[in-house]
Amino acid sequence: MNPLVLFHLAALLLLALGLYGLTSRRTLVGMLISVELMLNGAGLALVASARLTPASDELGQLGTLLVMGLAAAEATLVLAMVLVAVKRSGTSDSDRLSALRG
Amino acid sequence: MEQLAYVAYGFYLVLILAGGWAAVRSRNLVRALLGLIMTLFGVAGMYFLMAAPFMALMQILIYVGAVSVLIFFAIMLTRAPGGEAGEEDDGPRPARRTVLALLSGLLPAVILAAAIVAKTPQAVPLKPEAPLSRLGQFLTGPYVLAFELISVVLLAAMAGAVVLGFERRKGA
Repeated sequence: MNPLVLFHLAALLLLALGLYGLTSRRTLVGMLISVELMLNGAGLALVASARLTPASDELGQLGTLLVMGLAAAEATLVLAMVLVAVKRSGTSDSDRLSALRG
Repeated sequence: MEQLAYVAYGFYLVLILAGGWAAVRSRNLVRALLGLIMTLFGVAGMYFLMAAPFMALMQILIYVGAVSVLIFFAIMLTRAPGGEAGEEDDGPRPARRTVLALLSGLLPAVILAAAIVAKTPQAVPLKPEAPLSRLGQFLTGPYVLAFELISVVLLAAMAGAVVLGFERRKGA
């Protein structure tokens, strides 16, 4: 079988798992874990496309490196935001975090 | 030799599947995080399989080394008062929620899978591994703007996290 298809299907599996987790999880940290799954799938698809097509190799690999850097920045910021949300409302349950005020 | 590559692919796919399933289904968030780490190792193995060892090592260094430690801190710092850290509610999972979540995951997956199978071009034989020096030259040459911007993004994220943390302490 075409290896490019195989790698892309693995990346798609990560996307589907992440979407499923993002919608079924109730805690904010669980949702963060699902987002990391999806970002990993994006990286896998990028590197597979760069390595197994005539496209520029460096472009794909460094693009994935930037995705990883963004994931690290996002995780830092989400950690701080979750801490603030938990401090203010006492829960990280997304169903109970419904009040919006300034 | 080619059969061996398929065996390795299957092994990494099983790692990704089992880890991902634990990451999205496990009640205990620490177990979910362990599932995520397993998935990250599986993806790193796939990078090795594609002869991109730099990406594989960066994956282990950044994701397993940094991001999962951050998530672990998030789990430990958000425990419910009196509750065990990292436990989701014990109540029964509403079936409607699970079905809708399955739908939201499966629908894009089926559409995209059909597109991938129908439209993906034939893979070229694996190119020789890009040397690290060329990656570095690329990063400081055509990609220099992205390289500088991501440092600014990281700095802004760190500063934002610190500011949020200070505000939290003042309110207490």
